[in-house]
Amino acid sequence: MGKRGGFFSRRAILLAAMWLAGIAASGTAQGADIAIVVRPDVPVDNLTFAELRRLFLGDRQFWTSSVRVTLLVRAPGAREREVVLKTIYQMSEAQFRQYWIAKVFRAEAASGPRIVYSSEMAAELVSGMPGAVAFVDADLVPKGLKVLKINGLLPGAKGYPLH
Amino acid sequence: MRRISLLFVVFAIGAPRAGAQASDPATKELIEKLLARIDRLEKRVAELEKGPTTANAAAPEAVTAPTPAPAVSAAQAMHQSHDQAPVPQTAGPEAAPVYPSLKIAGFSDLDFSATNLHSTATGFGAQTLLQPHSGFEDGQFTLHLSSALSPKVTMFGEITLTARSDAGTGAPPAPGFNAEVERVIIRYDVNDYFKLSFGRYHTPINYWNTAFHHGQWLQTTISRPEMTQFGGSFIPVHFIGSLAEGAAPAGGLNLNYAVGMGNGRGQVISRGGDFGDINNNRAFLANAFIKPDGLYGLQLGGSIYRDELNPLTAPAAREWIESAHIVWHKETPEFIAEFANASHQPIGATTASNSQAFYAQTAYRLPWLQKLWKPYYRFEYIHVPKSDAIFRSVVPTFHSSTFGLRYDITTFAAFKFEYRSYVRRDGPSFYGFFGQTSFTF
Repeated sequence: MGKRGGFFSRRAILLAAMWLAGIAASGTAQGADIAIVVRPDVPVDNLTFAELRRLFLGDRQFWTSSVRVTLLVRAPGAREREVVLKTIYQMSEAQFRQYWIAKVFRAEAASGPRIVYSSEMAAELVSGMPGAVAFVDADLVPKGLKVLKINGLLPGAKGYPLH
Repeated sequence: MRRISLLFVVFAIGAPRAGAQASDPATKELIEKLLARIDRLEKRVAELEKGPTTANAAAPEAVTAPTPAPAVSAAQAMHQSHDQAPVPQTAGPEAAPVYPSLKIAGFSDLDFSATNLHSTATGFGAQTLLQPHSGFEDGQFTLHLSSALSPKVTMFGEITLTARSDAGTGAPPAPGFNAEVERVIIRYDVNDYFKLSFGRYHTPINYWNTAFHHGQWLQTTISRPEMTQFGGSFIPVHFIGSLAEGAAPAGGLNLNYAVGMGNGRGQVISRGGDFGDINNNRAFLANAFIKPDGLYGLQLGGSIYRDELNPLTAPAAREWIESAHIVWHKETPEFIAEFANASHQPIGATTASNSQAFYAQTAYRLPWLQKLWKPYYRFEYIHVPKSDAIFRSVVPTFHSSTFGLRYDITTFAAFKFEYRSYVRRDGPSFYGFFGQTSFTF
């Protein structure tokens, strides 16, 4: 009984702590910038916003002649996806889907972006796939990935466009 | 005592919202999620307390991530857009691509038309749906195939099954479906600036022809403009040969180009030279357009096309086509306008005949009702002088107005309703009502 009581006590404290942490985390997440991450061997450190848009529209498909760009996009529902659709694509969810269906149908791209379900998954795939590029919450950028500057600005800087 | 402290903590947390949300399903769900998470954390703690394990440094980060991920591996879960496409079979987190990687998508539509025509509208393409009898019609069943054969080589294909009155067997010919390879392309991508391909294309001298292909669902309207209608003759819709294409930033203009050489039109000029060129003169084309960074959504372009024709029912002639387009890709508003001039000079003659075609289409995605409705309007015009021996019997001279409304049932299917009125030079005017449901799958 005592053991069970201890379990409940720890559970209650954890519950309270995580509730508060969750509230704090949600407050942070709503305003966090979105970072564009690539592998360190991608020969680009900075993109203008227009270049970033070309990249995400699939109009630029190569980093260099030997390294093809692979787009990783968060699944619907993620805040990062909403930010990217609003700022880069300027499209609704339906327009975004139609855009990529049409892009592949026009033979302008062999396939659409690859879908990832979490920042961890995005980071894992960017690390493993040469030329992969993803967008993640700037607070969750793992070590070992390169964060691209946009218009010369890193996430968190004043004027950074993805938030 | 501990139970009391637990109740106190829960009460303290829940108190501010208790009045309004004590039985709120969202709150209950959140609590359940948190409890489940605590369970996972406790299991994790227990594992760690047992001693050294195989856990790596990244594991705690994954556990404490504020956005919990579904319990699927990266390789299993990643897949292609449009989000519902099949999961590629990848061996590990490095997600090495597998070749060939065939993907199939499809489009189809079902149409209804009712006009006050009393006879067949000569010169119009079958898919303009201008029939003297009202009724339903199977649209095209289109399959699109794409397959990366290597990081730099990709194959694209488009196959249609089209209902026709004469596609069946027997005498007289019974209705049936006609199968056609609309496009088959193999392309080598050197880089963004240069891509070389061979195959059967939709001729890239017309925006509509290369933007929507046989995907009726992709286009706002029910039918294509007559100048680029399948089965029509104004623009050579298909091109068999080779294309070199690419794109360059060009100081923010985003210049795209394509140059091509191919067989040109067949003896039936609405058809391409699939089986070989009908003469020893290749057709040539050049196309360029820009998409300026500063005006995201705008596309401006133009093309030229040159061929020598040997039609069945007209004298041999040289053909030049010049065209231009302007497109605003967004939906609030959407705008597409194209113009083409086709010049035909019979071999040995000193004068040429010029035929013109243009259309302008606008639409607007309404901001209400979940943005599912899009009204549209299109004006079309084709003029063929009677001196143009190539076109005068196969291309109608007319102008028309189309008023329509598109309703997107889901992200991947739509209803469209249209009223069209036509004024013809060589025949009586007429009008019609048209409906379509089109979708992708």
